[in-house]
Amino acid sequence: MRERVYIDTDILIIGGGTAGCLAAWEARRVGGPKLRITVVDRANIRHSGSLAAGQNALNAYINQGTPEDWVAYVRYDLLGAPVREDILLSVGYELNETVALMEKEGLPIKKDAQGRYLRRGKWNIEVNGRWLKPITAKMAEKAEAQILNWVYITELIKQDGRCVGAVGFGVRDGRFYVIKARAVLMAAGGAAGIWRSRYEGDAHHRMWYVPFNNGASYAMMKRIGAEMTGFDTRMIPLRIKDTYAPAGTLAIGVNAPMVNALGEVFMLEKEEYVRMGGHTAPTPVRVWACYREIAAGRGPIFMDTTRGDPEKVAGLREQYLDMSPTTVLYWAAHDIDPAREPIEIEADSPFLVGAHAACCGAWTIGITRMTTIPGLFASGEALGQAPSRYISGCWTCGRIAGRHMVQWLEGEGTEVPELDPGLVAQLEARTFAPLERWSKQEFFTNGKPVRGILPREMETHMQNVMEDYCGGRIRYFTVSEPYLEIARRRIDRLRRDQLRYLVARDLFELERAWDVINRLDCCQLVIEHISYRKETRYLGFVTRTDYPERNDAEYDCFICSVWHPETDTLVFKKYPYEQIVPGDRTKETI
Amino acid sequence: MPPYVLPDKCDGCKNEADPWCVAVCPGNLFMIDPVTSKALCRDPGECWDCMTCTIFCPRQAIVTQVQYQLAPIPAELIPRLGKRHITWTLIDCKGRIYRLENMILAGEGEEED
Ligand SMILES: Cc1cc2nc3c(=O)[nH]c(=O)nc-3n(C[C@H](O)[C@H](O)[C@H](O)COP(=O)(O)OP(=O)(O)OC[C@H]3O[C@@H](n4cnc5c(N)ncnc54)[C@H](O)[C@@H]3O)c2cc1C
Ligand code: SF4
Ligand code: SF4
Repeated sequence: MRERVYIDTDILIIGGGTAGCLAAWEARRVGGPKLRITVVDRANIRHSGSLAAGQNALNAYINQGTPEDWVAYVRYDLLGAPVREDILLSVGYELNETVALMEKEGLPIKKDAQGRYLRRGKWNIEVNGRWLKPITAKMAEKAEAQILNWVYITELIKQDGRCVGAVGFGVRDGRFYVIKARAVLMAAGGAAGIWRSRYEGDAHHRMWYVPFNNGASYAMMKRIGAEMTGFDTRMIPLRIKDTYAPAGTLAIGVNAPMVNALGEVFMLEKEEYVRMGGHTAPTPVRVWACYREIAAGRGPIFMDTTRGDPEKVAGLREQYLDMSPTTVLYWAAHDIDPAREPIEIEADSPFLVGAHAACCGAWTIGITRMTTIPGLFASGEALGQAPSRYISGCWTCGRIAGRHMVQWLEGEGTEVPELDPGLVAQLEARTFAPLERWSKQEFFTNGKPVRGILPREMETHMQNVMEDYCGGRIRYFTVSEPYLEIARRRIDRLRRDQLRYLVARDLFELERAWDVINRLDCCQLVIEHISYRKETRYLGFVTRTDYPERNDAEYDCFICSVWHPETDTLVFKKYPYEQIVPGDRTKETI
Repeated sequence: MPPYVLPDKCDGCKNEADPWCVAVCPGNLFMIDPVTSKALCRDPGECWDCMTCTIFCPRQAIVTQVQYQLAPIPAELIPRLGKRHITWTLIDCKGRIYRLENMILAGEGEEED
């Protein structure tokens, strides 16, 4: 048996990111000094997750209008799709207050001459965000949470139908962590690296989403039977080509128009795009339009910074230093000056997120943030059907989750019984299995394991399948049942009988092994959810060539799945959409 | 390869338990080579190019380069960490030098050594 670390806590927060840190802070605020709060992260929470490289705007802020107007905008931006308006409204009511709180904690927010926050459109403010992560982490430190850095969580523990903790391994010390908790928050982010990256080798992680969030949230919740939702959406970011910098800073930050190779501002000049909203068309439509232009031979696509606001264009480099400094280096290496020439943009591979422009995550009960597994809560990218929360929405959503967890502890979240030693032993064996297999391997003369598969090999296989058969970039993000059927067969094969060959030679590789195990579970969710929704609702993000139209009679609702371990299948159910903010869902209210 | 460590500049953070680059990488990519006692990025392909390691190295021993498959050298971006700002020196492929700055913490309080 390995060395074990036992932890007994009231609230366990998995993932000390944007949502997790603020959940700790709020739980302390409402739960009082005696509450035991534990935050676990695979990295150091001061520099982990989506905020690691910094970011330069808070994309959710109510600059004008009401929280209801913001919700109307969010659903418009996802083509009027069903969204959890109850959850979004609960975030909207507290958004601005949370931002004020973070400003007090030292976050530099840019101001105009009158001292007001510098707006970027209706729902966005500019920040100097290079230090977003240390400032966010300080909230968990202030809450005096017990912080376990460098611990990778591998599985949730379920006993008597309730979530009672989690297990994981120390990525530095190799110890087995057994954490018993009365309430658990899943806040380990979304999933990168499911589809093939544009580049190989040293640049294969030059991607938009943080490559260290690998769907652990989704996979672990799926595996203990939580209802999962929204995997029929995916986020496809338009970014500055070859970098991970999103194109939004060029579009709304410096008013640069998107043009094709002919210099046409196609979103404003072509009838079919104007009809769909022009340059403020919903996010997926703008991706779709770019790809249509490229397919028609009018690529590449650029953001024409030479037509932007010159003063703002001059400050672009500083802005990118706040969130994607290597973009600045890339421009310098290619002698690109955005004031002199347009900047090429391209869509990156799809990513799974729930708090950015997609809906992946767990289904939650009312506004409690509790999943369908009692005692298990979800926030940030891990919470489903409530898109466009971004940083400030994740902070807020984390706070709300923290508060509801405290309430749960005061109500039904009574003491949990001792953990079943048999179950813990089983989870331990599972956690370290790839490492154990390595020690039993035979090797070819070049050192390659005879029967073993290295995490990177399995990852590449998986990414190739998803790219070719589940709507990758090379398929212009389109899918259809015959393609999906091949994806299903190949991914199932990997999950069902290839994982027993997965080997890891050290702890670092064990992390990679768990990344691929989790990603494979995400693949299953994606394939089955996309296949279930036999319509095209998210044109651009998931375009079905076999069902190109929307089918409101069948699918204008929420779709959830539960995993059945005996058969390894997902069983689907639908919930009706509840519209709280009145009006035409495909239009903004202001 | 995004982050390179210059052997003459890295002092392994003087055998401290948690050298800066090892402590800050969100992907757990930095380690101290047991043989040389100097830092190294163990799998550059896994790197997200966030430059956090480069910013924090107290000896400016880490150099970030754009992968050669994406951009030719030379161009350099050298951060220097102050109390409330980072000052960046950018040298482009034509040898032109720029000084750029970004704020990291609110408030005035002074600055730079
Ligand atoms: C490149 C990029 C640019 C963006 N730009 C903006 C912007 O300008 N404005 C804006 O408002 N929003 C922006 N967003 C969105 C915003 O950053 C995210 O929506 C938000 O930060 C997500 O918060 P989270 O708490 O869900 O995840 P994160 O903050 O990523 O936290 C997840 C945490 O979980 C940890 N973790 C992962 N797996 C495990 C595991 N198995 N065990 C333990 N810990 C684990 C990670 O280390 C990480 O610390 C951007 C996102 C990206 C990726
Ligand atoms: S932070 Fe710099 S000096 Fe310290 S070990 Fe890393 S590379 Fe070497
Ligand atoms: S640039 Fe970022 S991801 Fe890459 S090694 Fe440095 S800290 Fe790690």
